[in-house]
Amino acid sequence: MAAVNPGERSVIAAQTTLLLLLYLFLYFPIFYIGYLSLMENSVWPFPPIFTWEWYERLQIMSDFHVGLWNSFVIGSGTAVLSALFATAAAIGVLRYPLRHRGWMIGIFLAPLFVAQVLIGISTLMFNRNVLDIPGNIESAIIANTTYSLSFAFLVILAQLARYDWRLDEVAQVFGARPLRCFREVTFPNIWPAVLGAFLISFILGFNNFEITFYNVAAVPTLPTIAWGTLRHGIEPELYALATVVNLLVFVLLFAIYLLIRLGMLRLTLPEE
Amino acid sequence: MSEPAVLQIEEVEKRFGAVEAVKGISLEIAKGEFFALLGPSGSGKTTLLRILSGLETPNRGRVSIGGVEVTGLPPYLRRIGMVFQDFLLFPHRTVAENIIFPLRMQGMTPAQQKEQLDWILDFVHMVGLDERFPHQLSGGQKQRVALARGLVSRPELLLLDEPLANLDRELRKEMEVEVRRFQEELGIPFVYVTHNQEEALTMSDRVAVLYRGQIEQVGPKLEVYNQPATRFVASFVGAPNKMTGRVTACEAGRLEIDWDGLSLIAQAKEGMASGDLVEIYLKSERIALSVSQDSPQWEGGSENRLEGSVRDIIFKGQFADYLVRVGAGAELVVSAPPALPGIARGASVQLSWSDQAADVFKAPPGDGS
Amino acid sequence: MTAWQRLRFDPRARFAVLTVPGALFIILFLLLPLISIIVVSFWRTESYELIPDWNLDNYATVLGNWVYMKFLVRSLVMASAVSLICLVYVWPCAYLIAKHGGRYRLVLVLLTAAPFLTGILLRVTAMQQILGPIGLINMGLTSFGFAPIEVFMYTNVASAIGLVYLWIPFMLLAVYLSLLNFNFELLEVAKVCGARPWRAFLEVTWPLNWMGTSIGIVLVFIPTFAASVTPRFLGGPNGALFGNRLEHQFGATGTWALGSAMGVVMFAACLIVIGLVWRTINLRRVGFTGAGS
Repeated sequence: MAAVNPGERSVIAAQTTLLLLLYLFLYFPIFYIGYLSLMENSVWPFPPIFTWEWYERLQIMSDFHVGLWNSFVIGSGTAVLSALFATAAAIGVLRYPLRHRGWMIGIFLAPLFVAQVLIGISTLMFNRNVLDIPGNIESAIIANTTYSLSFAFLVILAQLARYDWRLDEVAQVFGARPLRCFREVTFPNIWPAVLGAFLISFILGFNNFEITFYNVAAVPTLPTIAWGTLRHGIEPELYALATVVNLLVFVLLFAIYLLIRLGMLRLTLPEE
Repeated sequence: MSEPAVLQIEEVEKRFGAVEAVKGISLEIAKGEFFALLGPSGSGKTTLLRILSGLETPNRGRVSIGGVEVTGLPPYLRRIGMVFQDFLLFPHRTVAENIIFPLRMQGMTPAQQKEQLDWILDFVHMVGLDERFPHQLSGGQKQRVALARGLVSRPELLLLDEPLANLDRELRKEMEVEVRRFQEELGIPFVYVTHNQEEALTMSDRVAVLYRGQIEQVGPKLEVYNQPATRFVASFVGAPNKMTGRVTACEAGRLEIDWDGLSLIAQAKEGMASGDLVEIYLKSERIALSVSQDSPQWEGGSENRLEGSVRDIIFKGQFADYLVRVGAGAELVVSAPPALPGIARGASVQLSWSDQAADVFKAPPGDGS
Repeated sequence: MTAWQRLRFDPRARFAVLTVPGALFIILFLLLPLISIIVVSFWRTESYELIPDWNLDNYATVLGNWVYMKFLVRSLVMASAVSLICLVYVWPCAYLIAKHGGRYRLVLVLLTAAPFLTGILLRVTAMQQILGPIGLINMGLTSFGFAPIEVFMYTNVASAIGLVYLWIPFMLLAVYLSLLNFNFELLEVAKVCGARPWRAFLEVTWPLNWMGTSIGIVLVFIPTFAASVTPRFLGGPNGALFGNRLEHQFGATGTWALGSAMGVVMFAACLIVIGLVWRTINLRRVGFTGAGS
């Protein structure tokens, strides 16, 4: 890094201020909701009166446990499928640099450019009219996978790009067949990236509203429960729900961060 | 110097945190000069160049270009050109657009730009390639474009930061000649940073040898080559043989040195006395090589003579390096024409050099050998 | 070697085995459904039943009726405004992280992406709690005796703020990743060639990062254009966007054919935007010298 000239200092100060404001903007609402979830006077929580009431109410809220479980199932299903397809595709694209692999990369990134709403309603139409299956968890999983596959693909691609494929070649020279090679050489080195993609897909599927909504009909998931509640005006249980979900997400993200650092360590590369 | 100075550097210092990269350097560079800043990595030469360009500001000292003080002025207000080590051509611009960039920044009209572009393309022999993009060019072509971009606005000074480092050997030799030609034909002073002393000696008029942020020696290149002023310059320039020995006698400006059991004579420098540990730097081309003779040993006089045997001969084209084992296992490298009659691997040979041929310096304290 | 062996060991075959399943999955579950709504858009709905009675009525309704076009235009304006705001705000931040972030770059970037993953509903709820009439800002103002900030309460401005809140991480990621591969030394070159800082930015930094910037624009534009949840909760009476009308067709009224037509129109609009942005990318002018950089 070049040394900083005096002229640059004011620019950096301005940029830092903007960045800090951005973090404030992004995180303040989350913390505020967390604060609200613990306040009895949730409309105007000053001065603060502490209570667990909303969390207790959340537990007994109808559908809460069902919704939690369904969200979990959808998230897991999405994660498994996405991780599988994304890993295979990322390996294929990076290991075999064919001329038109750009097109294949494009296919895997296409879902990012289709609005979630469109994915939701189109799969709804498709399931109903072509496949003639009602909305259910399975179709929600599939629809979510279509969307989160792109994210998973990007996450693995970013990490895998630094993998030295000559290791695979070495293994092959010493007699390892492809699957064996993957199991013994490739995977042990890339599993942090794969797990990271898994977790991202889980989170996306768990929290998804717009795609899942059109696909699950009456089956409750956490986001659809929140939606139902919201339509009647805000109830404080929602804050408790939001805080619980946020905590879960941040715990998982922290895990992903550790995995990425681990991944960089494993590939023995300098920190970014 | 007969010409007035174009570049004046006065007591320039630069530190980065606790590290002093440049410690009090002063230099003057004249109009038609090809000036080399030579030194190993970490010697401060690149930092100095960046200070000249305005990309760094010195903590102390002044820089003047064309008589005008420019210390503290940003680069875009100085009338300089620069060539970077990795070429650093704009990848999103064609050759022509890269070259006219400085002209556009100066506000020249398109007609003037075209005129200058045509002239410089012809000058660097890149006519016809102006619509190409950098990634379509070879290393040597990229280098020419970088030079063209640096020279097109006819700056007062051209700064070059190890521009040939990324070229292969053959190309480098070719470009050394070319760059020298550019400088001579344009008459613009070049300040050329390099760690390659061969390059510096081939191309420059004057050389400044830098080490650890300070100037070890400044002068015409032959002077720096033949009469190194400090131990570092002697060791860095010319790839000499290095011998460490102890002074056994010192009188009338003449030293007798014990080197690994062999007795050598050399010119004394001020402050040397018997018992001192010294380093002797002897350039390999200053040693004469001949077949061993049975004639009696030379006694006294002003020549060193050693018997040895040829351990290996490394062919280098016009010359060869003869690795000759002498004494109890020490080795000297002698540069001489290849295929000398009677001298092959294992041959017994005689080495000789005058007592003025070597440069002797006191060994730095703490040097174990 | 037998033909079978040759096939097995062919890198193209291996590539296909690894990538085709996923690609097929996407084509199957992305493309085919899209095709199916295109098909349905030409049908009719009567009493909640789809009748394959091929006609163009739905498109006539959507494209010919100012009532619907109004929403389309509103969405376009909203999406453009939000994209622009994100663009302008993100650049200095991404620049800072990429150039001076050092070891903390990864953390800084992930921190901005993290809130995105908490799901759209909860984030919109949070925004409502801050901007709305009984939200933090306005309740705070009124309890101190000041007037509430009207523009935050159920307006398009609130919607816009909410949309920026949702999608700005995408823009940041796109620009940041582009800047990571940017050689900042080129700016030094420009300076030495006589370019002042702003000129150097416009001539060197901006064009060489245009691809990342444009990807960011598209990634923000599309979900914003299709937004329905955000305008519903933050937008107020005039805040309904195209996405809201679209959602309406699949909700109470059950007019799926019309809804599908709207979906197709939305998709077409998105494709046009992507196409326009793609046209502005001249690969050579972006400094792109080949995949695998």
